[in-house]
Amino acid sequence: MKKNIAVLMGGRSLEREFSIKSGQRISNALRKLGHNVIKMDVNESIVENLNSEKIDLAYIALHGKDGEDGTIQEILEVLGIPYTGPGVYPNVLSFDKIISKQIFISKEIPTPPFYFLNTSSFRELGSSKLLPFIIEKIGLPMVVKPSAQGSALGIRIVNDKESLPEAIIYALSYSKKVILEKFINGVELAVSIIGKNKPRTLPTVEIVPKKKFFDFESRSGVGETDYFVPARLSPEENKIVEQTAIKVNNALKCNRLSRVDMIFDKKEKIPYVLELNTSPGMTDTSLLPMSAEEAGMSFEELVDEIIGMSLEK
Amino acid sequence: MSKKVTFDYWNHLYSNRTEYMFSSEIRDLLALSARPDIISFSGGLPEVRALNFQRLERYVKRIIKTDSDMSLQYSGSDGFYPLKTKLTEVMKLEGIDEVEEDIAITTGGQQALDLLSKVFINPGDVVITEAPSYTGALNSFKSYEAKIEGIEIDSNGMKTSILEKKLDELSKKGIQTKFIYLVPNFSNPSGVTLSLKRRKEILELAKKYNTVILEDNPYGMLRFEGKPIPTIKELDIKGDKHNVIYLSTLSKLLAPGFRIGWVVAPHPILEKIVLGVQSTILCVSTFSQRIAYEYFSDPVWQENIDKFKSIYSTRRNTMLKTLESNFPKGCSWSRPEGGFFIWLKFPKYLNTKELLADAVRNKVAFVPGSGFYANGRGINEARLAYCTEETGRIEKGIKILAGLVKEKIKLYKSFK
Repeated sequence: MKKNIAVLMGGRSLEREFSIKSGQRISNALRKLGHNVIKMDVNESIVENLNSEKIDLAYIALHGKDGEDGTIQEILEVLGIPYTGPGVYPNVLSFDKIISKQIFISKEIPTPPFYFLNTSSFRELGSSKLLPFIIEKIGLPMVVKPSAQGSALGIRIVNDKESLPEAIIYALSYSKKVILEKFINGVELAVSIIGKNKPRTLPTVEIVPKKKFFDFESRSGVGETDYFVPARLSPEENKIVEQTAIKVNNALKCNRLSRVDMIFDKKEKIPYVLELNTSPGMTDTSLLPMSAEEAGMSFEELVDEIIGMSLEK
Repeated sequence: MSKKVTFDYWNHLYSNRTEYMFSSEIRDLLALSARPDIISFSGGLPEVRALNFQRLERYVKRIIKTDSDMSLQYSGSDGFYPLKTKLTEVMKLEGIDEVEEDIAITTGGQQALDLLSKVFINPGDVVITEAPSYTGALNSFKSYEAKIEGIEIDSNGMKTSILEKKLDELSKKGIQTKFIYLVPNFSNPSGVTLSLKRRKEILELAKKYNTVILEDNPYGMLRFEGKPIPTIKELDIKGDKHNVIYLSTLSKLLAPGFRIGWVVAPHPILEKIVLGVQSTILCVSTFSQRIAYEYFSDPVWQENIDKFKSIYSTRRNTMLKTLESNFPKGCSWSRPEGGFFIWLKFPKYLNTKELLADAVRNKVAFVPGSGFYANGRGINEARLAYCTEETGRIEKGIKILAGLVKEKIKLYKSFK
């Protein structure tokens, strides 16, 4: 049945361009599926705009701030408009990597050991003096990243202690808190999960960046990264990975849709979970559509399933 | 069975030069600056709202009424002759005395740069630019696989002693420098003007090392203070062999939407440029050229330039004053006498790409310096355009930026 679907895209986050690409692709698919599409940029008029149209469903094609931190979900809850992707609570939990990592630890889900520090603790409490202790505990190389930011913005791998301050300042340009995390040498994987009552995993994607890690440029540029689907894992390894992804999805109370990113230590057979994304990219080179295609779903079929379960009461 | 994902089935067909076409973090951050809530010091966007739209409407109506057949038709690849006549008059105001036959009209100054790159650069050829230099020019030269040698500047423009050393070094290795690219007036991005002494010296060096100068002068008529300095083209009068190729644009004198630029060059070079226009676009938009002709036939255009100058100088004054009273010690900036841009230098440790991420989150945008260098320098430098925003927003934006810079300096010092 034809529905009025608002595609929420753009927004105020640093991932605006990504979001517009995702949103446009989703809008085209929705039109092909026979729906009426209303594209909406998420700005100061969003509440007014949502209110002025008769909307059956909001498709959240936002990435990062506002779209994946529970903000837009709460607005839609208040307005009583059904929306795609997980609800408010899972978004709040997953957007802050510190909170989600703490939950992983409490649920015995492997995650790389880490410490976090915030801007004011450096400026006012002399936290820079902690760095030698952190290096001693975590070791080098170390991953330095902002606590709340997507698309690998603000991330650096630090190999020596001299480069650490610069990487911390870089990460703190993107977020008030910085995570200093042990670098895990392993296979980078992304597991997409779909389904409302019985979530299922789609084929695991293996990411092999041509540079040393999957940074912003590797994510956005065609040819910068090689992807293998399904990942080159043994059936046993893949089972561990998929089970862990489902465990993460459940731990963060996610429903309908998510993507879990991890590094798999092949030697120890440990899947180290990095984060969960509640609004996975939907561009031509994004991981979720890639994974769905391997499962035999076209992009339109993927979008159709996402909206179908979001419209269910 | 696992398989490698193929996004682009045509990868094996692409030319090497497509390697220079990629997305960057900075580009995506700057894309945000198009949002109205962002105070943008990033793009050098002329204040087209200062134009008299009713007059423009009148020109267009007149063209449609009296000359629709011709103005909607293809035209000569060298450009619309009556517009060239007007351009000779415009150039005369800057001391350049040329005839219509010396001019080729292009689709914006950018196409002139592309065609000149095509005419001169073989892969691996050396070209010389100011460092920092205009990104659009650097990208054009890079796309033809040039090796770019950037020459340091100071408040008088390109340092000629360094230029001479470089030309000498290249010449001793048997390397012919293909051209020296300069924006001598209120340069993009630095805002710096090349002194008369150095203009003469660079011209002499070009002659000595048997190369040409690309003199790109988009901002020359937008001088708010100080005495105009002769263009290098004007200085290049001795002998029969001239070494200056002069480029300009109507983007700042009229509006960038018309996409009109022009080149003045020795005839053999000009012929190649015209052939280049022919093979790439056949001709520059006839309709745009017709409107531009009407615009420059109406004496009011010079009043418009005064209006532009008054707007830009007020904005520059506001930006300089706000920088002066809010920016912390350790930062310095250029004081342009015209044009669109101020160039900022921060303490060595302050990475402006990182500052941009912070700034955009706080609704201010500027362009980090590294994009204006061919070799990854400029990490602690930035370009601020004062031409686009109104004074209230300039003040607000600079104050926000100053606050962020102070915080960054404090954070950095906490590691000492």
